[in-house]
Amino acid sequence: MKPTDRLKLVSELLDLPLLDKDKRYCGIVDDVEFSGGAAKALAIKALLVGPGAYEGRLPAWAFWLVVKLAGKRIARVPIGEIESISSAVHLKCPAEDIGLHRVEDRVRGWIPRKGAM
Amino acid sequence: MNPLDLTLGVMTAVGGFVDISELVFAAQAGSTFGYALIWVFAFSTIGIMVFGEMSGRVAAVAKQPVFNLMRHRLGLKLGLVTLFASLISNLITCAAEVGGVALILHLLTGAPYLLMAVVTIAALIASIWVLPFKWIERVYGLLGLLMLVFAAGLIAIHPPWDQIAGGFVPQVPAGLSTKQMLTYAYFGVAILSAVMFPYEVYFYSSGGIEEEWGSKDLVTNRVTCIVGFALGSLLALAILSSSAQLFAKANVDPQLPGTAALQAAIPFGRTGLLLALLGMIFAVSGAAVETCLANAYSIAQFFGWEWGRHKKPWEAPRFTLAWIILFLLALAIVFTGVDVMKLVEFAVLFSVLVLPLTYLPLMLLAGDKTFMREHSNGPFAKTLGWAYFVVIVLAALAAIPLFLITSGGQG
Repeated sequence: MKPTDRLKLVSELLDLPLLDKDKRYCGIVDDVEFSGGAAKALAIKALLVGPGAYEGRLPAWAFWLVVKLAGKRIARVPIGEIESISSAVHLKCPAEDIGLHRVEDRVRGWIPRKGAM
Repeated sequence: MNPLDLTLGVMTAVGGFVDISELVFAAQAGSTFGYALIWVFAFSTIGIMVFGEMSGRVAAVAKQPVFNLMRHRLGLKLGLVTLFASLISNLITCAAEVGGVALILHLLTGAPYLLMAVVTIAALIASIWVLPFKWIERVYGLLGLLMLVFAAGLIAIHPPWDQIAGGFVPQVPAGLSTKQMLTYAYFGVAILSAVMFPYEVYFYSSGGIEEEWGSKDLVTNRVTCIVGFALGSLLALAILSSSAQLFAKANVDPQLPGTAALQAAIPFGRTGLLLALLGMIFAVSGAAVETCLANAYSIAQFFGWEWGRHKKPWEAPRFTLAWIILFLLALAIVFTGVDVMKLVEFAVLFSVLVLPLTYLPLMLLAGDKTFMREHSNGPFAKTLGWAYFVVIVLAALAAIPLFLITSGGQG
């Protein structure tokens, strides 16, 4: 399925994993951002990725806990960067180009690069 | 099909069936109720085959592990509830496995139990760090097969095969008091939970992705589930039957995992004891690896992190950090001094409560034509899946009352 096709937001997009150009996992579709407004056509502008996007999807106390544990960051994946949608959302670009994988890269620095076969 | 392709199933099954809870519950079930609980093992084995096959099929066809799709299917809120419930269940189970290995090592070497727990965790972390996924499967899965000494031991003591065969017929033993009847029911629920631990399907489906399964591997998946889980069940049944033959008559209550090892020592002496203890170490260690990795897989898949042991540890850094921290948490639980057998009881009790949350979304995913296309559940899988789901829900509802009334099966 292409991002320009008709799709059911909740059953076909929300909470799907994101895979970048190199087939690396780089987040989950936590929410969706629209362009348009009252009396105008609505269109998906970007996918929102990160714990900050849980606001409104979780009870207030649960979101407060998430923010304390994981922060409030949100990365926006422009709709134009989506290659296809199936059991995962496949992106056209590497994760780093659109602000994904930042925590992954930070934690990578803590892991020693030796010993593994 | 290369026989080594089956090692994922062997590890899942041997680590899933013959983990610390199986060693305790199978041996106790045999010593307390003779062969009358064999049918519960057989029934539960078919259940885990059904759901294991579904989880492998989802991984092979949708190319996504179960937890990734589970969040998509359940949504964030219910998904988080499922995640936390399974994390707690798997963590307690992992701590029980680590405590179990430490206890066996303590029996073998005489070294202090807590020191052996530290050694166990260090060895497990080192093995997952160093070995690629295939070799993790092979080391724990195949060396766990030393447990086959229990099956050989059963044959050597010439058990009453007709009574064992009779145990496959669903039954409630005659002449039990109400108290004994409730204890029998508690054992039934505990065995169902221990055989169908949720971590088995999380580990198995993620393992399918680690091994890059596709639609061409559906036959491998089916064979792996049937052979692997049947093998695990065979070992558990050998322990139960030997226990019925050797311990029930002598009024021995095998509450410690080491007692089960005597089943191999009686017919084969020192060699049998050594093989049994080594097999138990590898099988229970395999279960510790499975529970810990299943938790790390679940977290990483739920939040969309890089994951997998087919990658180098630094290529999936948050996943790596997760499984190391989870092992250390399991060690911390062992260090609180809680009795391993209590941990086993809690693990089994908590897992049975999580079973419906695990298997309902799995069944819905495996039946979803959007992802599964022509490989979605057929009438046979649907019927079996729903039948087992009803049983699982009933078991989950009965678990806590039975646990409280019977004081954890102590009558």
